[in-house]
Amino acid sequence: MGQRSSRRQWGLKYPLLIGVALIGLLPYYWMVACSFKTNDTMFAVPLQWLPDPINWSAYGTAWRAQDFTRYFLNSSVVALAITAGNLLLGSLAGYSLCKFRYFGRGPLFLLILSTMMLPLEVTMVPLFLTVKQLDWPNTYTGLIVPFLVEGFGVFLMRQYLQSIPNELIEAARIDGASELRIYAQIVMPLCKPALAALGVFTFRESWDMYIWPLIIVTKDSLRTVPLGISLFMSSFGTAWDQLMAIAAIGTLPMILLFFFLQRSFIQGIAITGIKE
Amino acid sequence: MLGSPLFGRLLKKVQMQGGARDEARDVLTCTSQRRASKPTPQMGLFQQPARFRLTVAAKQSLFGYAILLPTLAIILIFRFLPMLQAFYISLHEYDLIRPPRFIGLENFIDLLQDPLFLHSARISVAYVVFSCVPVWILALALAVLFNREIRAKNLFRSAAFMPVVMPAVVNAVVWTFMYHQDGVVNTILEWVGIDPIPWLRSSRWALWAIIIIGIWRATPYYMVIFLAGLQAIPNEYYEAAQIDGASPWGQFWHITLPLLRPTTLLVMVMSVIVAMKVFAVPLIMTGGGPADATRVLPLFIYQTAFEFFKMGRAAAMSVFLFVAVMLFTLFQIRLFSRGEN
Repeated sequence: MGQRSSRRQWGLKYPLLIGVALIGLLPYYWMVACSFKTNDTMFAVPLQWLPDPINWSAYGTAWRAQDFTRYFLNSSVVALAITAGNLLLGSLAGYSLCKFRYFGRGPLFLLILSTMMLPLEVTMVPLFLTVKQLDWPNTYTGLIVPFLVEGFGVFLMRQYLQSIPNELIEAARIDGASELRIYAQIVMPLCKPALAALGVFTFRESWDMYIWPLIIVTKDSLRTVPLGISLFMSSFGTAWDQLMAIAAIGTLPMILLFFFLQRSFIQGIAITGIKE
Repeated sequence: MLGSPLFGRLLKKVQMQGGARDEARDVLTCTSQRRASKPTPQMGLFQQPARFRLTVAAKQSLFGYAILLPTLAIILIFRFLPMLQAFYISLHEYDLIRPPRFIGLENFIDLLQDPLFLHSARISVAYVVFSCVPVWILALALAVLFNREIRAKNLFRSAAFMPVVMPAVVNAVVWTFMYHQDGVVNTILEWVGIDPIPWLRSSRWALWAIIIIGIWRATPYYMVIFLAGLQAIPNEYYEAAQIDGASPWGQFWHITLPLLRPTTLLVMVMSVIVAMKVFAVPLIMTGGGPADATRVLPLFIYQTAFEFFKMGRAAAMSVFLFVAVMLFTLFQIRLFSRGEN
């Protein structure tokens, strides 16, 4: 690449990148900045880009206005349980569908696969009726069990397992290792990248879950963070500083997840683009 | 649950079927260990280990079934059966209190004559079209941009990716604030000389407000998928094209786009399905208003079922949504596979 073309790229590429970055970050910046503004300066003309004076109270007030400690606990329990379920069941099912031979394997895989693109919105009414019949509304069980495994997780694990040679499993069998031990101590350690990607992806999705808790949770003690935030908005809609504060707190786990597990976070999405 | 008599009976049944099949398989595939100890018919001594190995194979199949079972149960009970049930409920009138009453296709006939439903369907289609098409173009453009040599690439890419990280509900709350009459969006528009827009309070603008959020949030997501697709294209193609003197645009048109076809198809199908499901943002920001301008189909289904308790009607709407998703997916796959031949 010559000097000229690289200079021309500088002229076009970097302003574009900076623009994209700013657009991506603006809502975050605005959320945090405004959580420190006072109600007088919230809509000041001209717009205040840096809060002055700084209002420190919004976070505490918002946190105490509703039982957010409880909501955080609920969200954590639900998201962690769903993630653990998807890792365990998804990897088991993927392993089964990839490395074992039995009657009906192909059709069973297709059945699981066919639910992958099925929107919850299509099944929301019957699913609610099913869960109601099981007497699960307003329980952790109702929030967790229907989502313990998704077609996506099974698909992802099966795809990844195809890269693991069958000879390895055969060798372990000849050495007399039990099937469960082969799964847990030989196959799974090799699947760490896929497991990490699936784990982060599932945690993000379940932390984000809104429509389902909205349908089956009516008790305050079982509300999750998204429900808490939307409820806060409908009850204290004009307390923007507090609303932004609580929104920022609700986003924090996702930001931490992204920064510490960035590779897996992006991998989980990139993998959805890999087809058979 | 695993110790229940039902499971035991199932195991036995499976064992019998699996055993027979695996016998057939073993004969066909002839694994390496077997070849080593090649049992011959006349050597009676070797019969024993051969039968033993059959039960090992059966045990393996059984293990395969056993570890698939929990997944299968959950998928069947909470995904597959509800889908079939949706069709069943859609033929009934059901308000959760009185028992369901069979009414045939009445729900569907009513819906097709209901201006609110038709309006809602139109809103959904508008949302899907006007949010997805820009997303495809922007996501691909960004992916091409990020596939180049960039300083501080990680920093820029992380910043661009941030919209995906924000939870949907937070997204709705923060953008509601940003779309405020005196909010940051209108302020920025004012810099370029555009008069303040009454985003969420006008039936003319509310849908656009939600479409913009959809584009903001979805673009980086599909950018990542496109980027994975781009990185799978071997560099030699571009080098060869450069030697032949192809322009960057020509390279994009004749190498990138054709080789990206599977990824593009996937992005198109996925993005449309995700856009068809948009729910949290319109519910929280506008509740479907003003004047029904943002009542997308999922929102209407939710309100029909859980605010007006018309389960049958809501299920009939779900069936329409389901058919739309299926038809669309099939249509796009057809479109692309025809192009390939």
